[in-house]
Amino acid sequence: MRVEEAVLPGVGHKFTLYTAKGDRLVVVVHQTGHRELYFYRGEEDEPAAELELTDEEARELGAILAGVIYHPEATGEVSARVKELVLEWVKVEPGHPCARRRLEDWLGRAPGVHVLGVLREDQALYPNPPGDLVLEVGDTLIVAGSRTALDRFKKAGC
Amino acid sequence: MEAAGIHPSVEAFALAAALLALASALAGWLRFPALPFYLAAGLLASPWLLPEALEPLPTLGLLMLLFSVGLEFGPDRLGELSKKASRAGMVDALALPLGALVGLGLGLGFREAVLLGGVVYISSSAVIAKLIVDLRRAAAPESEVVLGVLVFEDLLIALVLAFFGGHGGAEGIAASIFLVALYLLAARLLAPRLASLLESAGDEPVLLFGTAFTVGTALLFHALGASEGVGAFLSGVIAAGLGLRDRIERLFAPVRDLAAALFFLAVGAGALELLGGKPGLVIALVAFALLAKLPLDYLAGRVAGLSHRRSLLAAFYLVPRGEFNLVLGALALAGGAALVGQVAVLLVLVSVPLGAVLFRYGPEWTRR
Repeated sequence: MRVEEAVLPGVGHKFTLYTAKGDRLVVVVHQTGHRELYFYRGEEDEPAAELELTDEEARELGAILAGVIYHPEATGEVSARVKELVLEWVKVEPGHPCARRRLEDWLGRAPGVHVLGVLREDQALYPNPPGDLVLEVGDTLIVAGSRTALDRFKKAGC
Repeated sequence: MEAAGIHPSVEAFALAAALLALASALAGWLRFPALPFYLAAGLLASPWLLPEALEPLPTLGLLMLLFSVGLEFGPDRLGELSKKASRAGMVDALALPLGALVGLGLGLGFREAVLLGGVVYISSSAVIAKLIVDLRRAAAPESEVVLGVLVFEDLLIALVLAFFGGHGGAEGIAASIFLVALYLLAARLLAPRLASLLESAGDEPVLLFGTAFTVGTALLFHALGASEGVGAFLSGVIAAGLGLRDRIERLFAPVRDLAAALFFLAVGAGALELLGGKPGLVIALVAFALLAKLPLDYLAGRVAGLSHRRSLLAAFYLVPRGEFNLVLGALALAGGAALVGQVAVLLVLVSVPLGAVLFRYGPEWTRR
């Protein structure tokens, strides 16, 4: 994947992302915070689609694209939820009650917490781990949820 | 009852604000950039609107524009530009000596000829950046090249102004170089402390300090025989050096937009009076300025690796002239070269609407 960044004095920053399929995505981040997105199919000179987002919308979209949040019941106050959402890295220390247990056993004791990925030493990131993944000592979990849910998660045993 | 206690400038301001509001509403309705309408509104209202009555707002508008050009298009941007944009900037810079040579050919003095060269050469970063944003051309490849070229232009013109912009002869040049060096040195020494101080300060103090600093610097430069334009530009460069670019840009944008709108209105209002005399030569020089830059900027686009069509668009985008042309023109006017001043005003008057049209419809016209 290739990403090019260019400064546009007086305007903002431009990022050009070349996708694996050979298309281009140009993102312009304006100084005012609003974003413009342009999608160019293949080598075409004119964008096939364009999109304008406010700062807030862009952040929400970014979070969704990055897999930080997903709410299948996509209703209600999305922005409020993003503000309440906390991301944390939780390490499975030696002697942790949930080591060598399945992930869903832990999650079952702390509702409202999403595990976005697991970092295991010397291995690539394990995104969206399934519930039956067996955790090991030294694993780092990337978790998202409300502050209280995360606190409950960190204190929970299995 | 007599409206005692209300300064007459308030009346002029009310008229100006109403005109600007109408102009911008009309522009929005026609889906067209607003700046040409501000100029036109000033032109149409010139029998009733004295630019002097609006002072100091138009002057402040110009200083704020130059400040934000320094903030955005300062020399620190040079390092961020791609090689392609730098090459384009050098090709485009040929317009400066070309214009100066024409000035010498017309029998102008050396200083006035250089000022004419500057008027021919410099495009308006403020107008062009605004058009690029308003017409959503930021993602286009030519915009990157055009904005890079503008960084070159502004730097070169700031240098021209530093050397030839003073009104105090050799002393003015010395004062200008001394002041620029002093400011840059002070900025370098104080930057870390100032930056952390300003970071903890609220938005309002930053806005007010920034304004006081810019206007104060411009006045100081003027008082010592140097160009106030360089002072305002330098203030912007220093603010950028403090790492305040985004914050100041956000804080100043609304104030600057209002003041700049008033400035362009005042330019329109004052234009007719200035343009009397021998219009033939003025019109010829304006046409020369517009025509000389088009092929140069097309070439600049090609040198930067743009396609035929994109190079054409880059040349279109660089048509609008603005803040620095008027600074140069006003200097020449004060120095007795009325011709250069007239060329600058007419050039702005013609090139902003023309540039806006080329900007707006260029992509459609060049599409096959």
